[in-house]
Amino acid sequence: MKALAGYLLAALVLSALAFVLGSYQTDVYRKLLLWITLALGYNFLFGIAGQVAFSHFAFYGIGAYAILILLFQVGLPLPLAILVGIAVCVVLSLLVAIPATRLEGFYLALATLAFAQLFVVVLNEGRSITGGTGGLANYRLPDVLGVRITGPWYTVVIVLLMLGTLALLWRLDKSWFGRACRAVRDDAQAAQAMGVNVARTKIIAYAITSALAGVAGMVYAFVDNTVSPVTFGLENVFQLLFMVIVGGSGRHAGAIVGAVLLYLLPVFLSPLIGHHHALVFGLVMVAVVLFQPKGLIGIWDYWVARWRAA
Amino acid sequence: MTQAPLLVTRGLTKRFGGLLAVADLDLDVHTGEILGVIGPNGAGKSTTFNMIAGALAPTAGGIEFAGKSTVGLPTHAMAGYGIVRTFQHNKPFHSMSVRENIMLGMHTRMNLSLLQVLLRSRAALQAERDAVRTADGLIDFVGLSAARDSEVGNLSFGQGRLLEIARALAAQPRLMLFDEPAAGLTPAECDRVAGIIRAIAARGIAVLLIEHDMRFLMALAQRVVVLNCGRKIAQGTPQQVQVDAQVVSAYLGNLGVGAHA
Repeated sequence: MKALAGYLLAALVLSALAFVLGSYQTDVYRKLLLWITLALGYNFLFGIAGQVAFSHFAFYGIGAYAILILLFQVGLPLPLAILVGIAVCVVLSLLVAIPATRLEGFYLALATLAFAQLFVVVLNEGRSITGGTGGLANYRLPDVLGVRITGPWYTVVIVLLMLGTLALLWRLDKSWFGRACRAVRDDAQAAQAMGVNVARTKIIAYAITSALAGVAGMVYAFVDNTVSPVTFGLENVFQLLFMVIVGGSGRHAGAIVGAVLLYLLPVFLSPLIGHHHALVFGLVMVAVVLFQPKGLIGIWDYWVARWRAA
Repeated sequence: MTQAPLLVTRGLTKRFGGLLAVADLDLDVHTGEILGVIGPNGAGKSTTFNMIAGALAPTAGGIEFAGKSTVGLPTHAMAGYGIVRTFQHNKPFHSMSVRENIMLGMHTRMNLSLLQVLLRSRAALQAERDAVRTADGLIDFVGLSAARDSEVGNLSFGQGRLLEIARALAAQPRLMLFDEPAAGLTPAECDRVAGIIRAIAARGIAVLLIEHDMRFLMALAQRVVVLNCGRKIAQGTPQQVQVDAQVVSAYLGNLGVGAHA
């Protein structure tokens, strides 16, 4: 009950914010919530399950393109398009994961990197289906039960997406499945000896997080109301990796802190110092890795421990 | 020992290229019994252990557990069958607490779907509570109560060994395989581990022990099998084995036991 109350409160506060923001701020706010959603999923995959995979942002793109193609080219109704879109993400993630998780760390990274690169190539070469380099535009979210969801109400949808993703990952993490994922990352041999099917655990973790990224992509498709290959470039997945590491790998709160910091850093700094914000980003990155390897959340842990000891 | 043995190996053989690591080995382990396997370095102890634990496929021969062959089963299936091992070099899960480490040991007994987990069904919550209670009981059993809430990284090596044992017990094994459980422990810790292993056997669990430390093993095992160059050269009670001429020349050497032979 306490957890439910917490989620409700967060939903209320974060939604209320949507109704007071201007149009530029709304855009920043929505993208921030989406980055947090993605970072939470990537934290589970990389930080908890220990898979160095670079396909997370590609699945975000797959979700976005899939929902648009299913809605406007196949002509499915919205609920069905969402379900089929999720199914597409799961099937594609299994196609990547089943051969790739048989490979160890480095090779998984290579295979998923190739997949992410291939995805962008397919988008560019997809002709009328993907709209090629120009992408897809001139569409809008179909009405839901006769209601058109726009403006702050669509921001509420994104808030719910983020909180739903958090709740789902939190529950997974605190279950036998989360323990199995951590065990596989910490020591696969010992996990196996305790009865954990290592390959299966990795595949399920990969498929779930990839599907979550896909759902986030579906929501994103109606944020800018245009999608194009440049939006889903490879640099984004490295941004996710940095967010998780800076915030604190393996921790949900860490992923949120990392996403907020690294997304807002350029937003606030570029009006002041232009492109030099990249320099600040680099310094933050190096400082955290050197002085706070557990991420910024480690500082919080330190003060909590001191406060408890006092 | 009128009861049929729980674990039976017959003609167990492992060949690595030209090297015959284990040759034609017959072993029986009974419920509630502590069987020790000793031998000098390279005798084939670890190879035997790994074959029984399902980590290594035999070249020839059979392994039967409770009347069923375990040869060819994937390693992760063994715990579900009731065969669980400990590691000579402790292998804790560093990102989890002591309690969570032990809860992971119950992996094969958590019969909950991911849907139940996501929906927080009554069964899922109950299973988690039960798992916590069981883990706490095992923490007390091995004597780690003081370290209950510690991070695994803060445990001493000896405490890590106790955690290793508690985690294996959490799987409710019928056969427990110990890979040199006394290695790296202080004499006091050795005594404690010996006491725990006796208590485990007294619970009706079959124990197979591979050990380098003669004193530790001889005081603990009811029967001892001696390997040398991959072959069984003697078996019997610790007293019988210690005076066996072949054993003395192969392994005990200058320990002074030979004087009694």
